[in-house]
Amino acid sequence: MTLLEWRDDFRIGIEEVDHEHRELIELINALHAEFGGDASGGRAEGLLGEILAGVSAHFALEEKVMRARGYGALTDHKADHEHLLDDLRDLMDEHAAGAALDEDAFAARLAEWFSAHFRTHDAKLHKSLAR
Amino acid sequence: MSAEPGTLRARLESRVNALKRALRALFLPVESALESVFGPRLNPITQLGTLGWFLFWIVTASGIYVYVFFDTGVTQAWQSLEQLSHDQWWLGGIMRSLHRYASDALVVVVLLHALREFAMDRIRGNRWFPWLTGIPLIWFLYVCGITGYWLVWDKLAQYVAVSTTEWLDSIGIFSEPIARNFLDSERLSGRFFTLMAYIHIAVPLLMLLFMWIHIQRHAHARVNPHRALGIGTLAALVALSLVRPALSQAPADLDTAPFRLGFDWFYLNAYPLLEHMGGRTLWAVLVGGSLLMTALAWLPPLRKAPPARVDLANCNGCARCFADCPFGAITMVARTDGTKYEQEAQVVENMCMSCGICVGACPTATPFRSAGELTAGIELPERSVAALREEVVAAAARLTGEPRVVVFGCAHDAGSATLADASTAVISLPCAGMLPPPFLDFLLSRNHADGVLVSGCAEHDCFERLGDQFTEQRIANLRDPNLRDRVPRDRVAVSWNNPMRRGSLREALAQFRRHLLEKERSSPAIRPGGRPAWRAKLRTWPAPVRYAGQFAAYAAIAAFVGYFATQPSFQYLAPGQALLKLSFIHAGQPLKPCRHYTPAELANTPFNERRATNCARGRWPVTVELDLDGRPLYRGTHEPAGLWDDGPSAVYARFEVPAGPHRLDARLRDNGEHQGFAYTGSEVVDFVPGENFVVDFSAADGGFVFDRAVRGRYPGRAP
Repeated sequence: MTLLEWRDDFRIGIEEVDHEHRELIELINALHAEFGGDASGGRAEGLLGEILAGVSAHFALEEKVMRARGYGALTDHKADHEHLLDDLRDLMDEHAAGAALDEDAFAARLAEWFSAHFRTHDAKLHKSLAR
Repeated sequence: MSAEPGTLRARLESRVNALKRALRALFLPVESALESVFGPRLNPITQLGTLGWFLFWIVTASGIYVYVFFDTGVTQAWQSLEQLSHDQWWLGGIMRSLHRYASDALVVVVLLHALREFAMDRIRGNRWFPWLTGIPLIWFLYVCGITGYWLVWDKLAQYVAVSTTEWLDSIGIFSEPIARNFLDSERLSGRFFTLMAYIHIAVPLLMLLFMWIHIQRHAHARVNPHRALGIGTLAALVALSLVRPALSQAPADLDTAPFRLGFDWFYLNAYPLLEHMGGRTLWAVLVGGSLLMTALAWLPPLRKAPPARVDLANCNGCARCFADCPFGAITMVARTDGTKYEQEAQVVENMCMSCGICVGACPTATPFRSAGELTAGIELPERSVAALREEVVAAAARLTGEPRVVVFGCAHDAGSATLADASTAVISLPCAGMLPPPFLDFLLSRNHADGVLVSGCAEHDCFERLGDQFTEQRIANLRDPNLRDRVPRDRVAVSWNNPMRRGSLREALAQFRRHLLEKERSSPAIRPGGRPAWRAKLRTWPAPVRYAGQFAAYAAIAAFVGYFATQPSFQYLAPGQALLKLSFIHAGQPLKPCRHYTPAELANTPFNERRATNCARGRWPVTVELDLDGRPLYRGTHEPAGLWDDGPSAVYARFEVPAGPHRLDARLRDNGEHQGFAYTGSEVVDFVPGENFVVDFSAADGGFVFDRAVRGRYPGRAP
């Protein structure tokens, strides 16, 4: 079972950003697969750490693109990035304490992030760039 | 790499290093004192570069104002400045004084800046570039100052004009001595004067160009001082201008030589040496000195750690390292690995100083990554993020007691390595800016430590330029990558100290420990994120004392500039002496007499090549002798000028003669004979003290011409 599926409506129209969105989903799925059933506390944290690094780097790239194109809603968009990273860090703290990863809940949470963020902020960016 | 021991180069290098240490021992206490008075942001000693820019603009603005009222005529120049200084003292006079004093202060600032960068060892490696481009700037600065003094056309200007042209003539590249332009008042031409004005405007423009080049390899280079420092500097210069307005000396008169001159030691310091060592030696000293100064950037060559390396598997081209590299050593280039990212970071290896600030900026450099191999998008080969994580986790695990503190120190801080004890782990980085903020989050949230202290160079004076500022901005959430809000800022401390302030660093750590303990007991609310790091409250002077100290510092520099701008005075001509100059231009006889072409020869020559005479090129040298009271004063043989030895011979010699009656005998030979003289002349002259007497020669006028006879030939001038 894959945690997340790429959907075409995630596309925002900047090739490298879309590419990385896809990469992130792949990374998450690959890590998930690698860990298989063993999602105990320590390993979960490691998995989340990799995701945190990947997402951080992705946001850094997306912010660079927005800055370079003079995107007006950068502040809001960046605030949402920070919010997502905080969420991820919260999750990491929970699992650092030793809690096992609840796959279904985690998958749901990730899917919720992506779709919500894509639906609102990235879609807005998409529209603004399309103009 | 260092040179082999025992060689000249090795000896030179050890001298240079000893000199750097000695200079640091002088600079650091002064810097600490100034910092305690001005605070780190306003500390003038760490802002010498920006102060230089600021003074340059003051000089430019005041110069433009003065130029509006300045008249470049030979007689009008002095008068126009007198009027400016006296009739318009309230603005024009101040502008003129600002122009002079800001220029003088610029010399002080520029030389201190160069000396300090040398002492702090910030001129090697990639930093050869600002060092090398700074050296012509010093030359340009002096050209500006010297031509500026020339334009005033007072007694000092006269001295500057004569000495400078004599000095230039000593190079021997001018076929006719340019000092002859200033031989006496009759020969002075306004055109030369206009030329000076152009040079005085053109060279500053060139200087500005070089100032711009000078900072090209510094990212985020600052060219303006902190506003308060700028205001203080300007106020000090205005005050000096009012207390001691810059004025002209007596108007220039080339027929009399100056005795005692108010002297600007900032710009004219080399001139007194001219009389002692001669022009050529002084050129050799200055050019040789500049070359030696240039060589300092490679004495010895910087042996730095291997440059940063990009790991494409972890780089998506986000450009944060590019934004943070203080030395512009990172460029963003088109992707080379075929992935769909547009760009990747590329390290320009010879510009990289291996400080690691790029690593601190990389979003993938997070110690939370533990599932796979921890490699950041950009890494220092000798200080990998994975090894750093391992080292800090191991060191923290050994800590006992309360509170457990991890100190991140840098290579140039106040001895952080000595802080290690049972409850303090010290991790050394090339620069504090190398620390990725997630390490702070990691250490505190995973309970590896109770507090983290980041220690580095003096504030606003980071050896790697921007490490302290970037660290603070990342912690305060003002710069990406920022420290996450969740990290309690009162468990993250910073302490910036110059290498001498070991006590301050110890005190900061001690206070931080007490603070952490108190926090354990009282557990106050976590300070929200987006706040600056915690800082120890070090003992400072009360505000009135600090302001008094600042005032004293400004007053001291103003007094220093004001004093040495004119004093101590310089004795040019000793009392009771007169100047005697032997100078003329005369073409020796041709080596072979000219021959007229025969009509037959002319008929055979193409029309456009016909000439009346056939003259072999080449002339005899001119031998001249001058006796004073029957004793030889001058003996010289002057070769003809020109690549084909067909130009005139030029003679220029200057002597000091005691005032009173003297007999002059002059002789000249220009025909290649071995004895006998074609021209002779004698005169008994009663020298007046301070007189400028010229012995000239004009074959058309029958031979030697003694000065007063020359003057007599011009109507309207008394002999």
